[in-house]
Amino acid sequence: MTSPAEEQTEISQRVPTGCPVIHLDASAPLEAGAHWAKANELREASPAFFNSHAQGYWMFTRYDEVREMYQHPEIFSSESITPWEPDPVYRFVPTQIDPPDHAKYRQLISRWFAPNAINRITPEAHEIGRRLVADLASKGACDFVTDFAMRLPTEIFLTIIGVPNSDADLFVPWVEEFFAGFGGDLEQQAAMGAALGGIRGYWEDVLADRRQDPAPREDDFVSLLVNSTVDDEPLGDALILDILTVLVLAGLDTTRGQLGYLFRHLAENPADRQRLIAEPELIPTAVEESLRMYTIIFGDGRKVAQDTDFHGCPLSKGDMVYGLVSGANRDPRIYENPDEFVVDRKANNHLGFAGGPHRCLGAHLARRVMQVAVEEWLKVIPDFTIASETPLMERGGGAMMTLLSLPLTWEVAS
Amino acid sequence: MKLTVDVNICRGHGRCYSLAEGLLTYDEDGYVTPRGQAIDVPADQVDDARNAADSCPEGAIDLLED
Repeated sequence: MTSPAEEQTEISQRVPTGCPVIHLDASAPLEAGAHWAKANELREASPAFFNSHAQGYWMFTRYDEVREMYQHPEIFSSESITPWEPDPVYRFVPTQIDPPDHAKYRQLISRWFAPNAINRITPEAHEIGRRLVADLASKGACDFVTDFAMRLPTEIFLTIIGVPNSDADLFVPWVEEFFAGFGGDLEQQAAMGAALGGIRGYWEDVLADRRQDPAPREDDFVSLLVNSTVDDEPLGDALILDILTVLVLAGLDTTRGQLGYLFRHLAENPADRQRLIAEPELIPTAVEESLRMYTIIFGDGRKVAQDTDFHGCPLSKGDMVYGLVSGANRDPRIYENPDEFVVDRKANNHLGFAGGPHRCLGAHLARRVMQVAVEEWLKVIPDFTIASETPLMERGGGAMMTLLSLPLTWEVAS
Repeated sequence: MKLTVDVNICRGHGRCYSLAEGLLTYDEDGYVTPRGQAIDVPADQVDDARNAADSCPEGAIDLLED
């Protein structure tokens, strides 16, 4: 048995000449935008690195390599998606399931989040957006990421699941407390555990309720899961609770993060704001551009499933790799003016929703939530600015990134 | 021009049918349709077809120029 230090040396000796070794721990909060700047710097310095952080892992910084990682689950397994945690004790479904089993779970869930399903709840999504904007408009100021950007996706998500959207009162603090601890802040671990318990307990109650139903309910996701089978077996309670919990943890904080960066951009760029007011048909394109340029994914991890030579890097089974999505999405080999926000950028194949079989299940929903947010906000609050004397800060890239705070201010119409 | 979506590469991102609405639509699972067959691109939708191909995060769309 080798000690961790010896193991690390062993891996480092396999790093070929020409593959730079760095030590990068991206988990600390930084000034907003610093993670993308770092990703740009790494991408232009080398297509690959060996990062000696934690047990050590390979990093790929450019678009083509990151996409290749996503598209080859037979080499790059999702058994672990956190490069500094090769052997996680948890196993999220379907996030950490590899093909071919992955498709069985994925199919079960993905139709619920497909465009037709999103279209069904879009009128309600707009109603929710209008109400939340109206509640804030007369105040003249808010912290966008906590007061609006977290609440909107939560209410819309609960609507699509088929539970009362007013239960956002419960979910918003749970999700906030979970992610306060997720970055590794030890003081937050107890609150994080309690929040996770709250989320799971909520779904346990819904599940128990749906199991009592004499017939499946219409437009009710938990009811669908209760009445579904995989390999001719009904889903057990533990699996259903896992799926529901993963959806909460994967879908709400992420959309909040993306919304925060998009609205920071709109606050700082009145011309783009005016353009979206004058040409609302550009809102979907602007949303995609924000997913590209302001991606909340610093990088995404995979575990090597078979020995492979990958672009000159001798990967061994069990190694961890990290695809730098933030580098890929601003790769000048792919995009013209990659650091420029082009409201009507038409050719945009960003990896902000990842790629391959694990492409973000909630992508269609997240886009719609963001479109609703921009449309309903700009109708009522067309002009707004950032009210902060100090630079905005963002959460570290160890989890999904988000602005920690986005104080906005606007004139209240008399 | 002919456009073909590779069934084995497409992952249902939905970028193509939102950029080429007149040419492509989607099924109940959110996958583009038609896929796996070459479809004729009318002259006035060539730009849309190019944007769709350039926006596919999987690179699943092939264009065959006339």
